[in-house]
Amino acid sequence: MNSRRRLNRLEVVGGAMVLSLVLVAIFAPILAPHDPARAVASTFGDPGAPSMQFPLGTDQLGRDVLSRIIYGARISLAVGVAAMAITMAIGVTIGLVSGFFGGAIDFLLMRFTDVMLSLPFLLLAMAFVAVLRPSLVSVLLVIGVVSWTQVARVVRAEALSMTTRDFVLAARALGAPAPRLIIRHVLPNLAPIIVVMAVLGTSGTLLLEAALSFLGLGVPPPAPSWGRMVSEGTMYFRTAPWLAISPGLAIFYAVLGFNLLGYGVLGRRAR
Amino acid sequence: MKPAQIVVALAAAVIAALGGCRARSGALKLPPHATVLRLADADDIPTLDPAAGYDTLSWTFEQAIFDTLVRYGEDNVTLEPDLAASWEASPDATTFTFQLRHDARFSTGRAVTSDDVRYGIERVLDPATRSKGMEYYRGIAGAEDFAAHRTAHVSGIETPGPWTIVFHLSAPDPIFPHKLAMPFAAAVPREIVARWGDDFSHHVVGSGAFMLREWIGGQRIVIARNPYYFDHELPRIDAVVDSLGVDSELQWLRFEAGDLDIVAQIPPAEFPYVMKTPALAKLVLRKTTVTTEYLGMNCEMPPFDDIRVRRAISYAVDRHKLVAILNGRGVVAHSPLPPNLPGYDPDLKGYTHDPARARALLEAAHLGPGFTFEIWMRADATVLMLGQSIQQDLAEVGVNAVLKPVAWGPFLETIRQPRTAQAFLYGWEADFPDPANVLGTLLSRTQWGSNNDSFYYNPEFEALLDRAAQETDFARRYALYDRAQQIAIADAPWVFLYYPVVDVIHQPWVHHYILNPMRPTRFERVRISPH
Repeated sequence: MNSRRRLNRLEVVGGAMVLSLVLVAIFAPILAPHDPARAVASTFGDPGAPSMQFPLGTDQLGRDVLSRIIYGARISLAVGVAAMAITMAIGVTIGLVSGFFGGAIDFLLMRFTDVMLSLPFLLLAMAFVAVLRPSLVSVLLVIGVVSWTQVARVVRAEALSMTTRDFVLAARALGAPAPRLIIRHVLPNLAPIIVVMAVLGTSGTLLLEAALSFLGLGVPPPAPSWGRMVSEGTMYFRTAPWLAISPGLAIFYAVLGFNLLGYGVLGRRAR
Repeated sequence: MKPAQIVVALAAAVIAALGGCRARSGALKLPPHATVLRLADADDIPTLDPAAGYDTLSWTFEQAIFDTLVRYGEDNVTLEPDLAASWEASPDATTFTFQLRHDARFSTGRAVTSDDVRYGIERVLDPATRSKGMEYYRGIAGAEDFAAHRTAHVSGIETPGPWTIVFHLSAPDPIFPHKLAMPFAAAVPREIVARWGDDFSHHVVGSGAFMLREWIGGQRIVIARNPYYFDHELPRIDAVVDSLGVDSELQWLRFEAGDLDIVAQIPPAEFPYVMKTPALAKLVLRKTTVTTEYLGMNCEMPPFDDIRVRRAISYAVDRHKLVAILNGRGVVAHSPLPPNLPGYDPDLKGYTHDPARARALLEAAHLGPGFTFEIWMRADATVLMLGQSIQQDLAEVGVNAVLKPVAWGPFLETIRQPRTAQAFLYGWEADFPDPANVLGTLLSRTQWGSNNDSFYYNPEFEALLDRAAQETDFARRYALYDRAQQIAIADAPWVFLYYPVVDVIHQPWVHHYILNPMRPTRFERVRISPH
């Protein structure tokens, strides 16, 4: 009992990292020294080097890089978490239905999943965003729509094994209808694995948002997305490397935080 | 992007990939001591057929392979003899007589005569050729009859002898000779076209300083010295080799490795580095092009149907900032006509950056803070950066601009639809040096739905255009266009942003590579010293 309560080391470190991100995102207006969308220095076309006034320098449009990274946490977290929620909603639903009912339903849903899996992730996302036109909502939807396949596969396998467990068979024998069986008996027992996948997957959706933004298909400007900042920064990599490096480190930090937390939760489950 | 376009794009990609595999043939064979100018381009050459090409890359090679009656000076837009030794216009600018030089020959050795010039233009006018250059020669008398297949030849083109060609126009057109300087009007050998038909583009024969030696689609094009070229001193190099499908970053790396002689587009990422490195900066050639970049506003759509709003936006945008963001690769614009174009008036002041005035005008137009509109643009990193700068400027005066970056095709489709795009970032490069090619082509009522994408119309402006187009006295002509320009500036259908400057970097061993403000660089006088 005691060992279940105590947090393991990965959870502590990962959790602290994620928590710090959440705090930065929430208190961005207080933490950021400048307006992220406005020119605060006239470093147009010639990014300003880090200084006391601008610790991470200013970009080619005269904006403060530190403020943009702080505000960027909002975009990254919002997209990462919301897209993960969509991913989970689709993936868990399809996985549960497929695993619980089996037979023809399972066959059709899994072949559909296979088809989606066979398409390259990023390419599919790019095609969708190009059709939908980039906006915060379309980016969320697209990331959700392309990343549910792994979740569905895992949830299906777990649900499949659940259906033969005694408590499910007992409930079924008592005449519980399918929806009740799924929601009351199968789903709660899948919760731990779903949580792990959601936390681990958030780093994936976060990266995908960065990749889409890097390709100019992410959340449209002037929203300070880290991926877009890296993309714009590469244009000046030779003369102002800090422009691309600092948002790159921010992405690294966020992905690492979610991964550590996810593996921590996973480790607890294995124990 | 529409589904149909995606299918076409995919099909094109597959074909390109297959073509790429097939084209993997042997190394280039040139004599051991040949002097070669090595270039690279990101895309394949669209065509070498002078009737078809209408883009910078096609024209780069067409003007090396073909000759026109007249052409432009190396670094200016003044007409010079090419195939024509001399020419004269009638006082009313309806008849133009050209005397051809006698020593011009195609690379097959056959002499170039007036009939070849006529054939080249008739080919463009023939609807079966589907040439984009057709509109430029419709003013020749009898062109319509010829296009409708009622006559075998264009009655307005006379060839009284092998070295004389006379053009009769149905209306005065003082700038007609400029239209003959476009590659559309090149002398073309009919026997070669007859032999290859639609495949002429891959087997072109012309009378220019170079001839096509090899063209492997998507991989390489090689043009070599034409031994029959009329000027025996030229070209000064033996060949030009252009590697195709090399993106600008890779071009830059190959240039730094000494593997390319010219890079026509320094990647934006490298530009600040190049300019801060003295050894590289001194190899950079610059030229202000005859291009005007602008933010077009749809004069038919609210709120831009209100002149005060258009003026407010014009005052709100900081053009100096745009040029700074471009690292100085532009000149702040104050008028529709760019410098280097005849008729440009440096005294026109246009609009200055004045946010207070912009706010006052918006208030007068009853547009409170928070008014939102969309700016359509190409999804290109540089364009998007400029868009963000404009977005910042507009936010300062309480206007919320939403950027709509889309692909090139959908962009054009959208802005040409009436009442669809409120505003858009676009530019225009003049094809020939006359104000008509900017003011008439982009702002006339007759161009609604094609080039007049701001749907601008002012009867007074239109009347001036009509008068100016037929004016044969160039001083009076430019004065009329200047008045028209002032009206357009006052009406502010565009925010005049900047005139782009092109930067080309060359290796120290390349000499006499000269940029023209309007046309691609000519290769025949380029010299390469031992290195």
